[in-house]
Amino acid sequence: MPPVEVESLSESSLPLDQAVIYRVDVLPLSDDHVEKVRVSGLGEIFRYPVYWFRSASAIPDEIQRIAQILLTDPILQRPVLSTVESFEASCLNWAEHEGQWVLQQQFLPGVTDNLGKTVEKSLGLIFPHQTLPNIQVASGQMYLVPKTHLSKAELIQAAAYQLYNPLVQKLSAISVLNEPGAGVYFAFPLVEGHVQQRVETIPLDISEDALVTLSQQRNLALTLDEMKVIKGYFENPKIRQQREALGLPQWPTDIELEIFAQTWSEHCKHKIFSAQIEYTDASNPNYPETITIDGLFKTYIADSAEKLKEKRPDLLSVFKDNAGVLQWNDTSAICFKVETHNSPSALEPYGGALTGIVGVNRDILGTGLGAKPIFNTDVFCFAHPDEPYAKRPTMLPPESILQGVRKGVEDGGNKSGIPTINGALVFESRYRAKPLVFCGTGGLMPLKVGVRLGYEKYTQPGDAIVMAGGRVGKDGIHGATFSSEALNQDSPVSAVQIGDPITQKRLLDFMLEARNRGLITGVTDNGAGGLSSSVGEMAQITHGAAIHLEKIPLKYAGLAPYEIVISESQERMTFSTNNFEVLKALADQFDVEISNIGEFHTRGTFDILQDGKLLASLDLDFLHDGLPKMKLRARWEVHKVHHPVCFSPCKDVTPVLLKLLGSPNICSREALIRQYDHEVQGQSVIKPLMGEFQTAPCDAGVIQPVLGQPEGLVVSNGICPQFSDWDPYHMAACAIDEAVRNAVAVGADPKTIALLDNFCWPDPLPSSRNPDAEYKLAQLVRANQALYDMALAYETPFISGKDSMKNDFDDGEFRLSIPPTLLISAIGKIPDAAKAVSMEFKTPGDQIFLLGRTHVHLGGSQYYRQMGWFSRYAPKVHSKSAKYLYDTLFTSIQQGWIRSCHDLSEGGLAVGLAECALGGRYGASVDIETVRDDSPELRWDEALFSESPSRFIISVSPDHVEDVKKVFEEQPLHYLGEVLPQPELKLVLEHQVLIQTDVETLRDAWRRAPAKCYESGMTP
Amino acid sequence: MSKALVLTGDGINCEGETAFAFEQVGIKPTILHINQLIAEPKQLTQFQILALPGGFSFGDEVSSGKILALKLQYALGDILSDFLEKDHLVIGICNGFQALVKLGVLPRSDVHAQQVTLTHNRQNRFINRWVSVETSGDNLFFRNLDRFMLPIRHGEGRLVVPQGKESEVATDIQPHIALAYETDVNGSFLNIAGLVNEKGTVLGLMPHPEAFVRWTQHPNWTALTDAQKAQVPAGCQIFENMAKALRN
Repeated sequence: MPPVEVESLSESSLPLDQAVIYRVDVLPLSDDHVEKVRVSGLGEIFRYPVYWFRSASAIPDEIQRIAQILLTDPILQRPVLSTVESFEASCLNWAEHEGQWVLQQQFLPGVTDNLGKTVEKSLGLIFPHQTLPNIQVASGQMYLVPKTHLSKAELIQAAAYQLYNPLVQKLSAISVLNEPGAGVYFAFPLVEGHVQQRVETIPLDISEDALVTLSQQRNLALTLDEMKVIKGYFENPKIRQQREALGLPQWPTDIELEIFAQTWSEHCKHKIFSAQIEYTDASNPNYPETITIDGLFKTYIADSAEKLKEKRPDLLSVFKDNAGVLQWNDTSAICFKVETHNSPSALEPYGGALTGIVGVNRDILGTGLGAKPIFNTDVFCFAHPDEPYAKRPTMLPPESILQGVRKGVEDGGNKSGIPTINGALVFESRYRAKPLVFCGTGGLMPLKVGVRLGYEKYTQPGDAIVMAGGRVGKDGIHGATFSSEALNQDSPVSAVQIGDPITQKRLLDFMLEARNRGLITGVTDNGAGGLSSSVGEMAQITHGAAIHLEKIPLKYAGLAPYEIVISESQERMTFSTNNFEVLKALADQFDVEISNIGEFHTRGTFDILQDGKLLASLDLDFLHDGLPKMKLRARWEVHKVHHPVCFSPCKDVTPVLLKLLGSPNICSREALIRQYDHEVQGQSVIKPLMGEFQTAPCDAGVIQPVLGQPEGLVVSNGICPQFSDWDPYHMAACAIDEAVRNAVAVGADPKTIALLDNFCWPDPLPSSRNPDAEYKLAQLVRANQALYDMALAYETPFISGKDSMKNDFDDGEFRLSIPPTLLISAIGKIPDAAKAVSMEFKTPGDQIFLLGRTHVHLGGSQYYRQMGWFSRYAPKVHSKSAKYLYDTLFTSIQQGWIRSCHDLSEGGLAVGLAECALGGRYGASVDIETVRDDSPELRWDEALFSESPSRFIISVSPDHVEDVKKVFEEQPLHYLGEVLPQPELKLVLEHQVLIQTDVETLRDAWRRAPAKCYESGMTP
Repeated sequence: MSKALVLTGDGINCEGETAFAFEQVGIKPTILHINQLIAEPKQLTQFQILALPGGFSFGDEVSSGKILALKLQYALGDILSDFLEKDHLVIGICNGFQALVKLGVLPRSDVHAQQVTLTHNRQNRFINRWVSVETSGDNLFFRNLDRFMLPIRHGEGRLVVPQGKESEVATDIQPHIALAYETDVNGSFLNIAGLVNEKGTVLGLMPHPEAFVRWTQHPNWTALTDAQKAQVPAGCQIFENMAKALRN
């Protein structure tokens, strides 16, 4: 193969003194082509890209060529080349902008610079027959700010989080008038510090206070009890003897202590979900009842899945791999996983969300022998940008978080070629310090790869440990332990990183090919805890592993050995192979760097060596099982009873409805949806927005995962933290119901649905700063109890999950916790995707029915929130009747009787009807009297806006009305009215008109989204 | 049977569905990594169609399609020129179109002179939505098609011509316009959505024909009648037209 690309040039840094720095400003050819960005506080700003080249020797001609051929679009731009000697600011046409400011934005040293890296790797392309000197490339942005009265410091502050993020970038402000020396224009972001750092031994024969301090100072996030257990391990005479024989010190090396911290982190070990809990239900204070729960996960989640195993032969791998795996058809399986990336997204929203999405993609790639990611789903919980928020907490403004996260998911999903087919957005003020970012991915894998099962791992002793993809740097150190602690403004910045979707796409293409050729015997991803977790986990398969640090490729010199082991640098997979040579040749063809970094063995230890010297050796069984279970207490009492407030609803409901339609938790997500590719890979069946005007908000996404085959895969979610303040049991039941209901609404077979749980909770561990921990833990217990009950009632097993238990901000003075939040993600199957149903009314004359019972469920409802009213009655699920209803609805959809189907959620019946109308071109005439058949005590506005779960609006062609009535004979099927040819929605009760408006007005109210949230946003 | 080479690698990501679309119309697709083609460029001579699918080659860094165009030019320039001279077909979809434009193959086949460009949408953001397009002139790719819908999924689909030369270019480019948006969706010059070369054998377009090869991909399919759905989906028709052209 011709040398088309230069191998990573930054492998070894250049000596400082000899390097020549070139700068290329890529200016617009004309004013028409000037790129403008709006920055609040500064107005409209011009922007253009700038590049720096750091070369081992002078190469002016080459740089000229690079600037013209590689960096410039000849139709739009012209390059201006300079060196520190030749530089004059006037050459950039700034002279005419006297009195203005120029801002120069650069990456901080060591931060992933995808543009710079891409240019660097492409240099060889345009010099195919020439050996270039060692060249490093960095990219940045220049901004020209209009005249302003702001001082330099104020200017930089105003630009923060709009034009740059101080955690990953540097911004220099330069006044055009006072042209400074050229130095600032030629700074090159280099990682300094080339001294080989040594391994330290850390004695643990110190006081308890000192152990606690040690854990804090090293960011280990280990408790005193855990530190004492580790100390006990090293004091064990047998271990001491073994260590002596191996030439290791008595006390742990820093590598060993770090491996414990990663492996035992809440993030990796789920300590709270394994804890033994004494749970007291004191909802009746006179008769408190106490039970002991031996692990929430085991008791409620795993056990319910186990009980459903017989009914669900399609469960192939549940809660044991990086994702849950279901059989799809005779030849393939589907896997699904949802992760959270909350802490990183709070600090650097773009990088946090981007690494969240590419991270969960790697979970799929690391399931079994590897699966291909086929869809993404994203759910965000934020404070609303328009909401006034207190000065504290001193974290990013909600608008910056939303914009950054949105852009991160766009780049993560779109650039990876994975469609984002479903999602949700929840606004609540308590998310303002700790936003929640859920990133989910589904994958497709072959049931069999040769003679092996695609969803199992076959790592053998003697197999090579292979690290593939990116290199190791200081980025992402302590990510696992950092997410296991409360957030504050001093949280470690090295935990933040930016992903590189294209390097990962290359890795993905390569790994799927390697899998198909039988070259991979086992695989996992490098996520939290880096190699210490990925190799440590895979080592359990053969009962031992050894890695050699000198074989691990680094981004730059100067990493301490422990940093190499725990770094969470992105785009890396770890796998085992018995044929490294063949694998390497394939990797070269795909431009993927792979390294043989060690071997799996059977000696029962996890060993780290450097140049043959043993630096760490830990007993694998102790590492994974030595952590004692926590013992916790939980106490449930009916906490806050909201007394009903006296009120009188106004009779003119139309304005109320319009306001609800435009409210943050109901309004259209179109601005967001359109920026995510939801069709790539050609599988699309039900898109997020359907209908003639592409405005119909669909309840779930449907794709055909295997092109050319009829089966449809349904993806939906349920999340309703607004009900947590009442009783998290019912909140969780409602979330599960919502996920299942959404899937059934588009046509999923309820018998095929499987679920994922994602808990994001306020810290339920007691401390002086957390006095109501027992209550928070009780909330968690109750949510888990609902999970168990609902999984069994709906026969929908949980196949994978994740928990994030430290969603608190605490700066020592101010503490803010999120509301207990549970995301339920569902997948299911439609035997023939062509029978899927969308939600908008389709044909005039179709009969409209309400399916399901309406109760006085107004607590936490959007209507009461809007009116400022309270109710003690939040929604509750009646699972038995719901299950029956879902089965019957599935049958009716299969028969082709249902023309449209929409589930009712936020805003209840009135909002649901409005959405069915605004999704298409037809109106409806509806009488809601029948809604009171089940609950005659319903007030008229309660009937309109109650958020009772397990309900749908369906429309049925007149031909099939009798069929539908018959099949739902014993169930709550309420006739409402019919679809009108004219675009008008009319709602009456007892001959009195409650709502009358045209569909266009509804659509406008609903689509008037807070556009500023979704603008292109800041991209580092 | 005609054979199509569907290029992949470096961040191209629509190779699977593009190959599937060829299969639907009886063309045999081969998905090949660009590095595998560079290793043995002669492989290209076995094919009658070269497809550059959509995606984010090189992450759209610097600008979309730019580095892929350089890689094609420097590593495959000669073999590509030979291929273009024969009456073979080339289709560049989305990112593939961007690369063909930056390579100079479209609108006028000239591998060394870029004549127009595709850059950031007027809205300055990525857009995924189905849009109405209409064909222009007579060329083999759009036989039996007049007005139809296809999805656009791009951030850089606005066609821009050199400043000050708009009227001149408007005349020159007219015969090359193969497809135009019915309304202004991204600020593209003359609403251009797709271009062909002089011979009409090279097509580049921003909308994705491979994303409309069955009716259940259409955003309004759940409301369409069986009669409407009995027609060949427009995307499929484009692939079928290529098959027909090669049979003749």
